[in-house]
Amino acid sequence: MHSDTPHILREFDQAFGALRAEVIAMAGQARLNLERAMQGLLERDLDRCKAVVADDDEVDDAELRIDRIGMETLVRFHPVASDLRLVITSMKVAANLERISDHAVNIAKRARKMLTRPECPEVTFIEPLYALADQQVRDALSAYTDRNAELGQSLQLRDKELDRMHKRLIATFSARLEEGGEKTEDYLHLIFVARSLERIGDLAVNIGEDAVYLDSARDIRHEKVRVVAEDNGE
Amino acid sequence: MTLESPESTASRAPQSAAIPAIQVQGVDFSYGDKQVLKDVTLDVPSNQVVAFIGPSGCGKTTLLRCFNRMNDLVPGARVTKGSIVIEGANIADRAIDPVQLRRHVGMVFQKYNPFPRSIYDNVAYGPRTLGEKNRAKLDEVVERSLRRAALWDEVKDRLHDIATGLSGGQQQRLCIARTMAVDPEIILMDEPCSALDPMATARVEELILSLREHYTIVIVTHNMQQATRVSDRTAFFYLGEMVEYDTTRKIFENPVNKRTLDYISGRFG
Repeated sequence: MHSDTPHILREFDQAFGALRAEVIAMAGQARLNLERAMQGLLERDLDRCKAVVADDDEVDDAELRIDRIGMETLVRFHPVASDLRLVITSMKVAANLERISDHAVNIAKRARKMLTRPECPEVTFIEPLYALADQQVRDALSAYTDRNAELGQSLQLRDKELDRMHKRLIATFSARLEEGGEKTEDYLHLIFVARSLERIGDLAVNIGEDAVYLDSARDIRHEKVRVVAEDNGE
Repeated sequence: MTLESPESTASRAPQSAAIPAIQVQGVDFSYGDKQVLKDVTLDVPSNQVVAFIGPSGCGKTTLLRCFNRMNDLVPGARVTKGSIVIEGANIADRAIDPVQLRRHVGMVFQKYNPFPRSIYDNVAYGPRTLGEKNRAKLDEVVERSLRRAALWDEVKDRLHDIATGLSGGQQQRLCIARTMAVDPEIILMDEPCSALDPMATARVEELILSLREHYTIVIVTHNMQQATRVSDRTAFFYLGEMVEYDTTRKIFENPVNKRTLDYISGRFG
């Protein structure tokens, strides 16, 4: 449960408003970095690739700011229940966004290397994986901002599709790698790009799980692992 | 019903965990025409710490004082409906001797209130009142009570110094020792740390946690963090109603009632 009733202390609501605003701004920057990295790769745009690497510092700074605001909020206001969950999940969401931005940087660096080489048409194979990963990130952030546990939990299931798509791509690029030829290096770069997108999907799942905790105080992390372990009598 | 027995029960068997130490069923309470508790029902499990929280005037202290009939001293104050059962007896029944009841249900107050006598005499006061004259037995009760109150090491060499010379925190722990000296089953605490500094508060809270092994404790507190630190279960009261009662973790992590959430998170305007 969450309450919209204003807090007795105006500063409390201001601090929590600032925390949420920082996370939303950081999410916007992380998603922009991912979008520019993929545009840099798909449209062979060096400037966008460079911008991603340069702007990653902003995301790192945002993570530090969110952690600082979160710590200050804990120390000053001793929040409980849904307020405490908001502080904890905001700090965890920030950590996941920072890693998403790191993967955007990885993609931009791979793209930068591919730009020095002749165009590789197979780069478009990556597009559906990116579309799905980006959708997962958007839904994860909506689940966090709207306190939507149902949407947050749905990410776990949809991540399976992303994993399957990733596996198919790796198989395709690996087969072409084995064939050899002058595009070998490109395929290797694309395997790493696909790997980054798959990891971004995992990080979106983490944010979705945090959104479930924020909304309903349920911790759904590792639930499947636990069920399997129980089935095995462990 | 054992409330009539003046015998020391130091070696009694622990109560069954299945039987609540206190059973409150549908209690209404009024001061004259003013109703201050409305249909309150809750069980206080044995050997647990239960915290009562809520804004001033919500009825939490009134309910606490019902448990040892302290309200009898207030003209016009009475339970008008329901029952409060302790050890199988409805203690709201006027036939129950409140003095005997208070031996079984001790109380520690907001402001520490040792008698202006020696440390020893403060702790020995209860057993002496119950007729204990044997010096060796009194010595034993005083030492045991002071040890349980985590005060023995600090005062063992000055037991005959005046109690009011102790620090505030020590005086409050002395009052807890004095309460324990008559070996109650239940200890009621009405904001026991509100007059103490943070260090003395921490000592009392540590003491409360250690006492759970021997006693059932009900504590009224305005300090939310204290409730989360020391209690197993928490009841939230508002305008004479018990709004929500659950494990302390549940109350402070994810309460069911919005009024509970608004109160614990500081949104009561």
